[in-house]
This record gives sequence, structure tokens and C-alpha cells, in this order.
Amino acid sequence: MNKTITKEKVFNHPIEQIWNAITKAEEISTWFIQADFKAEVGFNYTFKSEPNEKGCTTISGTVKEANPYKLVYTWVVADTKVETTVTWKLETQGNSTKLILEHSGIENYTGETAIVMFESFNGGWDNCINGLTTFLKEVVNAR
Amino acid sequence: MQDNITKLFKAIADPTRRDIFHALVIATSALSITQISNQFSMTRQGVTKHIKILNDAGLVKMNDQGRNRFCYANPKPLKEINKWMQFYSQFWDESLDNLDNYLNTKKDA
Repeated sequence: MNKTITKEKVFNHPIEQIWNAITKAEEISTWFIQADFKAEVGFNYTFKSEPNEKGCTTISGTVKEANPYKLVYTWVVADTKVETTVTWKLETQGNSTKLILEHSGIENYTGETAIVMFESFNGGWDNCINGLTTFLKEVVNAR
Repeated sequence: MQDNITKLFKAIADPTRRDIFHALVIATSALSITQISNQFSMTRQGVTKHIKILNDAGLVKMNDQGRNRFCYANPKPLKEINKWMQFYSQFWDESLDNLDNYLNTKKDA
């Protein structure tokens, strides 16, 4: 089984707009998860959603590379201490932009870590993401 | 793949099925439906229902010998849970969809 997840998606938006969406804290916080983030090598970031009654998962890590248009950071979930790596790459394709996302090191999750992960994500992450989606829909509809 | 992992979680979410699966793991040989029903004081229909769900999840394999159906454990799919590939795969699909929605909303604004 492949140990790296690779996702490719083409967006009908200029490369700069997508780069901003994945590197600027206020934008990441809007579509992804509440972020304390700077696209600077060595910056220790945290992703954390607004707390709810079940609590939320915290993701933390260090920025390894941040040159337009490649962003690399480590990805550690809650208390698992298992380090994985997330890489974002952007390429211009005519009038569109291709985004290539790689998440590697997932084989490092084993045994008990997986249980911690499952409980953590089960209680928090899904709720936070669903909450964010609902929030976004409300904001959009209110306009 | 996501369907498989969902089946797996559903199969092991039920305590009776976990017990049946455990009994098959520690059994030295394959067990018939009758043997399992006796061990758990359950009807054959009840056991058959649970075995079918475990079988769909790939955790139990079946072997027909004459009129008897023998079941044995296959713990291999459990390893898949540990890898979390499917989980993250779906997570990133959803996140990239959110990014797309966000960009489209921003464009319209």
C-alpha cells in the first residue's frame, strides 16, 4: 500500500489567489481550520478550531519550505507525537491552477496512536469541520 | 476504500460481534454456526446475521463442508484501520472541496 496520499485538483483561479488561501492565516481560518500560521521557514504553527462541548483537535507543526508556489509543513495531531508531512504545490495550467497535495508519513500511525487519533478525530475534527461548513453557509446566505 | 473502512468500523462497533470475532481468533480450528450459537446461547439466525456483517467487512471467512458452514477469523483488515490512509484521503478531498467553495465565494463577492 502506498504510504503517501496524493491529491490533485484544478481550480479556475489565478495561482496567487490559491497561494494566499493556503498561506495566509486569516484565509486558512476561513476555509480550513482556525490557524496561527506564517509561511516562514521554521515557524511553529497551530491549527485549532473554535472549541465546542466535545473539544477540538489541535494540529501543530513546523514550516519546512515556503517558496511560491511550494509549501511544506510537518503535521502532528493532538498528543500523538507522530510526525507526518504535508506538501502543497501549485502550477499554472493555462487559465487554471493545478494544486498537488501530498501527505506523507502516514505509515507512522500504528497501534495505540491510531486509537488516540480515532477518538480525537471522532470527537472533534468532524464536528469542527461540519461546524465550519455550516458557518460558511450561513455567512454566504446572509449576504 | 472508504466503504470498506466504514464496514469495518460498523462490524467491530457491536460488542457481540467483537466477542464472536474474538472467539474465532482464539479457536484452534474453524467453528460451525451451530458451535458459535451454542457458545453464545444465541439462535442460529442471530449468529448468521452477525457472521454476515463480519464477513462483509472481511473479518470472517467461510468454508462450506457438506451441510455445515465453518467460519474462521481473518484479522488482516484490522491492520488497514491503523494506516488511516482512507480516513485522510477523504479528509483531504473534503478540505480541497472547501477550498474550491471558498475561492468561488470570494470571486463572487
